[in-house]
Amino acid sequence: MTKEQILDKLNDMLTADQVNTDADDLYDASADRYKKYAKAKKVLDNPLPTAIVYPKNTDEVKELLMFCNEEKINVIPRSGKTATEGGLENWKELSLVIDGKNLNRILKIDTYNMQATVQSGVPLQQLEDELRKLGYTTGHSPQSKPVAQYGGLVSTRSIGQFSTLYGGIEDMVVGLECVFPDGHVCRIKNVPRRAGGPDIRHIAIGNEGTLCYITEVTVKIFKYFPENNLFYGYLIKDVPTGIKVLREVFVNGYRPSVARVYSEEDAHQHFYHFHEGKCVLIFMAEGVKPIADACGQGIEEAVEKFKDGIIKKVDSSLIEDWFNHLNWSQKDIDDEVQEMINNDRHSGYTTEISADWETIPQIYENVIHRIRTEFKQADDLIMLGGHSSHSYLNGTNMYFVYQYNINCEPEDEFRMYHHPIQTIIVEETLKLGGSMCHHHGIGKYRNQWTKEEHGSAYYMLEKLKETFDPNGIMSFGNIFYQEEGAKFQK
Amino acid sequence: MKIICLLKFVPDVDSFEYDYEKNVLVRENVKQLLNPDDACALGFALRLKKTNPDIEIEAVTMAPHSVRKFMEDILRRRVDKGTLISDPLFAGSDTLSTSLILGTYLKQTPYDVILTGSQTLDGDTAQVPAQIAEFLRVSYISGITKIDEQSFLQGSPQVEVDTENHTDIYELTFPSLLAVRRESKYRLPFVRFADLESDVSEQLQIIDNHTLNIPPDKIGLKGSPTRVIKTYPQTYEYKEKIIVQNDAEGIETVYCFLKEKGYIK
Amino acid sequence: MKKCLIFLEKEYENFCVSLLKAAEEMYGSHFQSYALSLNADLTQAENFFDEIITVSDEKVRCYDTHSIACVMEELHTLYAFDSILILATHFGRMLAPSLSMRLNTGLVADVTEIKRHPDKIEMIRPAFSGKLLAGIVNTQGNLIMMSIRPGIFLYENAVPKCTNIRNYQPKNISVSQIKHISRKDKPASKDIRESDILISGGGGILEDFDLIDKLAEQLGGMKAASRKVVDSGKADRNIQVGQSGKIVHPRLYIALGIYGALQHVAGLNHVEHIISVNTNKNAPMCSLADIVVEGDAKTFILNLIKRIQQG
Repeated sequence: MTKEQILDKLNDMLTADQVNTDADDLYDASADRYKKYAKAKKVLDNPLPTAIVYPKNTDEVKELLMFCNEEKINVIPRSGKTATEGGLENWKELSLVIDGKNLNRILKIDTYNMQATVQSGVPLQQLEDELRKLGYTTGHSPQSKPVAQYGGLVSTRSIGQFSTLYGGIEDMVVGLECVFPDGHVCRIKNVPRRAGGPDIRHIAIGNEGTLCYITEVTVKIFKYFPENNLFYGYLIKDVPTGIKVLREVFVNGYRPSVARVYSEEDAHQHFYHFHEGKCVLIFMAEGVKPIADACGQGIEEAVEKFKDGIIKKVDSSLIEDWFNHLNWSQKDIDDEVQEMINNDRHSGYTTEISADWETIPQIYENVIHRIRTEFKQADDLIMLGGHSSHSYLNGTNMYFVYQYNINCEPEDEFRMYHHPIQTIIVEETLKLGGSMCHHHGIGKYRNQWTKEEHGSAYYMLEKLKETFDPNGIMSFGNIFYQEEGAKFQK
Repeated sequence: MKIICLLKFVPDVDSFEYDYEKNVLVRENVKQLLNPDDACALGFALRLKKTNPDIEIEAVTMAPHSVRKFMEDILRRRVDKGTLISDPLFAGSDTLSTSLILGTYLKQTPYDVILTGSQTLDGDTAQVPAQIAEFLRVSYISGITKIDEQSFLQGSPQVEVDTENHTDIYELTFPSLLAVRRESKYRLPFVRFADLESDVSEQLQIIDNHTLNIPPDKIGLKGSPTRVIKTYPQTYEYKEKIIVQNDAEGIETVYCFLKEKGYIK
Repeated sequence: MKKCLIFLEKEYENFCVSLLKAAEEMYGSHFQSYALSLNADLTQAENFFDEIITVSDEKVRCYDTHSIACVMEELHTLYAFDSILILATHFGRMLAPSLSMRLNTGLVADVTEIKRHPDKIEMIRPAFSGKLLAGIVNTQGNLIMMSIRPGIFLYENAVPKCTNIRNYQPKNISVSQIKHISRKDKPASKDIRESDILISGGGGILEDFDLIDKLAEQLGGMKAASRKVVDSGKADRNIQVGQSGKIVHPRLYIALGIYGALQHVAGLNHVEHIISVNTNKNAPMCSLADIVVEGDAKTFILNLIKRIQQG
């Protein structure tokens, strides 16, 4: 089929305002924030998608997927558009971006059964605002909260800043509706638990658009007690000390909503006004008062136990103040684009991995060492550090953060900087048995390691793809390595 | 047309750290970079070459052998030829000797025009370009913020010069030496990813005083009329922070501070 | 008696006269002072020098360093000066090195201080962007040459002299191929990056942001803004300081109600003095300030203006 034929067909299926072929919008849709610099500089060489379409209901999604499946047109499911790992990048000459912005209704807020049902294009912020009015919260708060929408949040297995209390998105989703390329609509019902075979929610959660299109989600909601919040901040000797304190808190069964350790360099980005060049450990306890207080006590005990590594306590009002300024919005994204255009620089990149308690400090050390010694553009680094921000009973994550002076043409930027650094992080993590992506998804630029990430279990992933997307039309290049796409990576 | 770009690699003065205890500037391990004004001069030449491929560009620098890798980096940006003038005899040369050395090389080299930066980040004397121009007896102007490309290609460049209070336009005739300021914003293109490892050693010539044959008493420390006999650290102080209230006393503190520092006359 | 020649540049006559102070630092009050003028306003220089030499030859143009260096070389042959001082203006910084090459003499640029030793003159100049000062001597020949930035030396309480003005006709002028085409006056600075004093407002002064103009006017500075103010539409993006705005380096930065996120502070480069006015003294901005005024920015502006007007 030609582009013109596809557009004709789309115009038959949808109304004019549901089909977007604006040149700027198509350019914008050809890549995501992985190539943000080249994109801002208008030098992207990715093929433009044929159109962006905005279905209004599940039936239209179904019709679109069946059409694409028949004609072998690549489909890029999209909602919110905050992807950072190439998940929204286009590698195909014929491609349709199916954007969920019209699937924008909050269907039900049920405070008795503590769950809310939304369509996949509902922004997280919108649901959160509605819930707050009632004294509840989604408990989900990634930095992209004001922009991100539920479809993207679920399909990438996102996580929020209060995950240590509320969990990641996979702990929140109780049921959902999704559409497969052959047009089959699946509804997974909302029940507290079941033992009806494997948990099939997890086929849709984290599929990154490679298996199905998510149209509706039901999530847990939580009671919200901001008045009981307690804040703790400490300057500490090093990252391993901080990890030890985190571990102590979690293995004793406490669930602070925030528990983070920042390396010196990363601390500077957030706490330059008080960190005194040291690593920073912060906690926030919340919930009903007895629980918040008990959690606070648990934190203090853990800190006391490792007091040799604690340099000093920080005034908790400074930590509270910082939380109140943790704003990140569409404006920040736009601002960064302006910065890239005007000043030839951006606010850096991140790569997030996870591993068990004893492995994380080792990975951190190995990664920093290798980047400092092997990365060819190491001289251009102006910041290299990281923080642990999501902890579990058996381990934690590490969020590597790096910023550099861009001494190359915009076309080469990801090849010269982000990709080589990310490669080192992934290699070191896999070597020691960690997971190469903690919460951004694999996207397109880590797909070369997907097999290694899963090892013998890759078999299950591969079979899912073969079964649900036999024509390979769903998000070509995401999760699964494609030889044809290598030219965009190397 | 043959353009020679005179380049200097300088320490990144912004990355110097100050050792408050010993009261000295820490100059070790400081990054080297191409002097920003010089980068603009080369940027202009490369930009012109893009549309006029016949233009030949030679980059010339006087420096120790250690800048070889920087010169290679310059050549990977599609500069035709690089010349590194290097000899232990040259060490310690002041601006006059440096100009003599560079000028001697330029005298034996064909060119239509020489482009360089107006001043350097480290020395900031702006002396070498003017001295070379005088030595070669070519027309000279510094402080250029814009070069008219058309007239440049015809050998009589019209250039815009920003001075303290005015913007002037001058017309020169080749051979000339034009000294550009970074405010010109002629951007030096980066080495492309594909060229990062390319072998450019063939294009780089390294010459020493055997070739130039300048009497040793004219060069180096010995041949330099000016000599640094002493350095003084700038006295830096830790800032004492004052916290005041928004009352008469506080305003008085601010007022006196502004007065003392000369912000209020 | 020592002889000192000063190049008298048009538009900078007063500053050139002040270079006599530098000569005084070298020689005490007894020395012969000479000035060379092509087209300068002599009324501003008369009675300061022993002799003013004027040259009016159409071949010698005021922007052609070669031709002027030729003239000065002839004069030096005639007078045998002990020192030649040139004001470090744009043109002076071209002329001085040209002449030094012609006379084969060492030259020290941008001298800020002179130390007189029994056997030598030490010229001190900043190096490495002013991070270090270097003391430099001339080791060859008897002629000392230096350039000096305007305003470094002040020549006060000069004893009026009877100035001998003579016209000199140069013999052997070589000129260079350069023509002056046109001149435009530069518009007054409108860019916050060029202002020495910035009064910058943030979220804490959003409601009264325009009040800043009054303080800026009093201090002869410019108004700037944080992103929050620009986002609200109260200020244009071209006065925004910060990572996504402009990187500024004023001598004085007054931050009014600015929280001071790293993205904002990233826009401050080599600022000498910072005053932070904020109701929250824990705001990161305050950690960088010389003076923290704990309180409301609006009251601060009004009070400070009142205090300045009282004198």
